[in-house]
Amino acid sequence: MKKIFIVLLTITSAMTLIAGGGWPQPKGKGYFKLSEWWIVSDQHYTDVGRIDPNITIGVFNTSLYAEYGFTDRLTGVLYFPFFSRNYYNNQVSATTLEIIIPGEAINSIGDTDLSLKYAISKPGSKIAFAATALLGLPLGKDSGGALNNLQTGDGEFNQMLRLDAGTSFNVGSLPFYSNVYSGVNNRTNDFSDEFRYGAELGVGLLNKKWWINAKLDAVVSFKNGLPSGLSNSTTIFANNAEYTSLTMETAYYVTDKLGVSVAYGTAFSGKIILANPSYSVGVFLDLK
Amino acid sequence: MGRILILRLLTRGIIPAGLLILLSGCIGDDLISDEVEPEIRILNPVVSIEVGTTYQFEARFFNNVGIDDPGRELRWSSSETQILTIDDNGLARALALGTTIVSVETDFGSDIIKENLTVVVSGETVTGGDTRSGVIVSTSSYVLEGSFTLSGATGDLNLDIDASYKATSALPGLYLYLSNNPNSTADAYEVGAVEVFEGAHSYNIKDNVGLNDYDYLLYYCKPFNVKVGEGKIE
Repeated sequence: MKKIFIVLLTITSAMTLIAGGGWPQPKGKGYFKLSEWWIVSDQHYTDVGRIDPNITIGVFNTSLYAEYGFTDRLTGVLYFPFFSRNYYNNQVSATTLEIIIPGEAINSIGDTDLSLKYAISKPGSKIAFAATALLGLPLGKDSGGALNNLQTGDGEFNQMLRLDAGTSFNVGSLPFYSNVYSGVNNRTNDFSDEFRYGAELGVGLLNKKWWINAKLDAVVSFKNGLPSGLSNSTTIFANNAEYTSLTMETAYYVTDKLGVSVAYGTAFSGKIILANPSYSVGVFLDLK
Repeated sequence: MGRILILRLLTRGIIPAGLLILLSGCIGDDLISDEVEPEIRILNPVVSIEVGTTYQFEARFFNNVGIDDPGRELRWSSSETQILTIDDNGLARALALGTTIVSVETDFGSDIIKENLTVVVSGETVTGGDTRSGVIVSTSSYVLEGSFTLSGATGDLNLDIDASYKATSALPGLYLYLSNNPNSTADAYEVGAVEVFEGAHSYNIKDNVGLNDYDYLLYYCKPFNVKVGEGKIE
């Protein structure tokens, strides 16, 4: 559950306007981003969508996101969290100041996604359609710590098919772009499959050196897996999680190819999912 | 020019931001409000003691966070020493027919924590109740309700949850504890993972746990380290 939240937000944060969406990379071109994504959360959405407190949980992913155009219509995509950290705080008695439950942390590689994106429409079309096949590789730890409740992955191999449609346009002299997508995520190990959809709107400023975008992402569970309470997992990687999130991102080209980005994301509704905002900072190289 | 910009970005922006992120990735402390009234509990209360016999009382002191403090000195007394006497170890001698109040106390800071028990000296020894019960209530947004009874001898207790019980199956890592603090699992006894989410079911509790050793059922989510519900054991 948390993985879904983390990975999706990380990916959507990594895929800036000049990468992702309905626009595959041209042959030999690429987009590479080194980023840090994190969330520190002391509350979560319950199964009825209310917010309850929890021990403060931190998740940090240092990742490489890469897109490379094998041809003008076929792009390979990698999301590789090469350092993932999950921890929770000490639970301390306010009366005695003694530790009741000691905090713990694990560090490892995180679950990794490999994708192929194919341009359904011809490059340069007014509306760009693309199909993506994604493989989620369970390279992270699905159990760690004394209570086995720390994870940097959920231990399941998932496959997702996704369709994107994007277009660019001008409002006055300002360049805009928009993109919508939907996809189905097939998950293994008794995890429920998911329907995902979202939309994105972006605008370029300062002669396209500065970009601002907003992304809406949603996950709806088919609830065809085990209930969380019946799964072997005793972690917050629960099953059947759902959410709707909004991510705001800004990216600035320091040079023609090199830039920095900052993102802020928050799930404004959800079930069994962390409820605090997430943040991301990154450095990207755009070989356009 | 570009190199200078990148250098400035690194020194003034990215490196400090990275340090900030690293610091926020450290394990910190979350305080929980866990203060409870300290108490002495007589673990094997009696209604009456047969005249001419002895009875060994057992008591424990639980401090202001509900943790058992076995090393503490307990002072025993009887209000009517012509009816019943009791020594420093809680051994009572029933001397004559009548009613007395057996007290046990200890010091806790500047306070004296005391427990009183009315005891009748009569023709037979009658121990206190062998069943305790309560109502399970949710203390969170998760569904949790029902009633329960706790019965049996030390080392072979039965916790019976009745048919009205319902609990969410959406929450991973839901565990059941016996505790003397409704807000903490410190010094609590872990009964086990919750695997039944509706209807009557039972747990058999061994490990030398007695009927009066704990005062609360505690439903606790381990992954979130947070209480989901509780049941006061009456």
